[in-house]
Amino acid sequence: MAGWLLLAGIVTAAYLGFVLLALAQARPWQRVSQAAPPTGIRRLALRTLGGLALLLSLVLCLVRDGPSFGALLWATAISIAAAAVVFTLTWRPAVLRPLAKMVAASGGGWRVTQRHDKPDDPLGAGRA
Amino acid sequence: MGWLHTWAGVVLGALLFAVFWTGTLSVFDKEIDRWMMPETRLAATDRPSWPPLLDTARELAPDAPFWSFFLPSERVPVVRIFYRNSAGDFTFRDIEPRTGVLLPDAGTLAGTRFIFPFHYSLHLRWNDLGYWLVGLAGMATLVLLLSGVVIHRKIFMDFFTFRPDRKLPRSSLDLHNLTGVLALPFHFVMALSGLIIFFTIYFPTVVSIAYDGDRAAFNRDAFGSFQRDAAGVPGSLAPLDRMAAEATRIWGGEPPYFVRVWHPGDVSATVEMRRTVARSVDLNVDAVHFDAATGEVLRTHAAAPVVHVQRFIAGLHFIQFEHWPLRWIYFLLGLSGCVMIATGYIYWLETRRKRHAAQGLPGVRIVEGLTVGSVSGIVIATLTFFVTNRLLPFDTSFVGQDRAALEVWAFYLVWLVTFAHAWARHGRAWREQCWAIAGLAVLAVVLNAATTGDHLVRSLAHRHLWPVAGMDLLLLFGAAVALLTALRLARRGSAPGPSQDALKEAE
Repeated sequence: MAGWLLLAGIVTAAYLGFVLLALAQARPWQRVSQAAPPTGIRRLALRTLGGLALLLSLVLCLVRDGPSFGALLWATAISIAAAAVVFTLTWRPAVLRPLAKMVAASGGGWRVTQRHDKPDDPLGAGRA
Repeated sequence: MGWLHTWAGVVLGALLFAVFWTGTLSVFDKEIDRWMMPETRLAATDRPSWPPLLDTARELAPDAPFWSFFLPSERVPVVRIFYRNSAGDFTFRDIEPRTGVLLPDAGTLAGTRFIFPFHYSLHLRWNDLGYWLVGLAGMATLVLLLSGVVIHRKIFMDFFTFRPDRKLPRSSLDLHNLTGVLALPFHFVMALSGLIIFFTIYFPTVVSIAYDGDRAAFNRDAFGSFQRDAAGVPGSLAPLDRMAAEATRIWGGEPPYFVRVWHPGDVSATVEMRRTVARSVDLNVDAVHFDAATGEVLRTHAAAPVVHVQRFIAGLHFIQFEHWPLRWIYFLLGLSGCVMIATGYIYWLETRRKRHAAQGLPGVRIVEGLTVGSVSGIVIATLTFFVTNRLLPFDTSFVGQDRAALEVWAFYLVWLVTFAHAWARHGRAWREQCWAIAGLAVLAVVLNAATTGDHLVRSLAHRHLWPVAGMDLLLLFGAAVALLTALRLARRGSAPGPSQDALKEAE
């Protein structure tokens, strides 16, 4: 039972991690929300939280299965989680709308960033 | 790098798909065995009962130089005994683990003896040709993955990008990039570990230089082989239960999965036990050798560091461990590799179709046939293999071929037909083969229910029939996917995209 709960936690954390990383990018963000894509500190926060969620899923993997099975489970499960995020963005972007709203509503200063936004590659993500 | 990726992909893609597809199925090879060998659908046991097993072995192979027993596990409810029969051929039978009752001859190569060996040898034994071709495929996979990363223009920006609503070249490229990038670590590790597993074939210098060609010495050092000559004097066999308990104690509570009696019945007989590989990623080579008469430990073996690394890498690839979430993830990632190859082909075709048609080049026509035959064709062939298994009675033989061979013939002949069909019907081949996949998959499920009585309601209700239920459910799921694909292709008109008109014009 604990094993299945941990597995659910691993999958959720990895999925959430990639959702946050995706929302930090302009194109995925625009599939989910009408608001301007996050920039600056908000983008950094999304990436950091996304990274932390992935780290959490690794920790849960190690707790569940120990170092060798845990590492292997994490390294393979995150591929599936990332694919699940892509399919959500493609076919069910509305699912992520509440989350995007929360991000957009977190703190003020949205308007200022909006003006500098170039929708095509505002992040320089291609160079990241 | 672009030309390298394109040429290696187009020329070797068909081979790669065959290896990826059979590798993906091999993740569930033992479950396929249960489906194709209904007489082995037994309730699982922890522990075999040795006295009846040994009686059966004595009856089966009284003069054999050894008996090798693979003990039952979570995924295999039978004991499988390997031995040399009176004709000197290496052979095996399955035995009920508690009663020692001999199960009828399998009559099929099923998953572990057809699909799995196809994955690494293509069943081309001549001069190890199959191994070398698969090795080439492994190297090509590494080259394709690396060159793919290099030529990918926006690997991070496109990380989450899939646009199925775009035109076919774009959407197939999206899917190609997606499956390639997201599952990159898996594909890379699988290709590399596949090469490392067969290092004695691909890098024979290990044995020829370090051991001066003495393979026995190499096996002794690496894998802990141990034998002594038969004395020719009758001897006794101490209880194997006690030896298994001693081995389990030596391995900190992990039981043996394999037991071999060398020179059974001889005074200098020995018993070799191998530690289970179910509980770690590492495919360990730990062994304990006992004196058969006294049950005393003669020798223990554990892997040297370098072997340990090799066995860990091999273990990653073989997944002989018991871990259901990982098994399913491997299966999904394997399928993603199949999608990667298929979409790579589709992208190639769709970006060239118009130009080739306009210039009268045969490239697209040839490659399209190759693609259809190697992608949907091998799926049809595999399903035919399953259906044939359920249709042919146990003792069928035809032009000197037994049932197991006939199933394999059906696989290859139908595969060949799918290529012919693909070249003959070009534009419509995808759709028609999708119909065939849907039909055959449903037929397989129906035939399983009709010939064994283990329909889904029953198989889902019994834990030991879950492998059968899983196979049936995946077949039905595959049928649904194929059906939807066929319907979508039909709605689009024949042939993908607007290019059909161009093709007709060219004709």
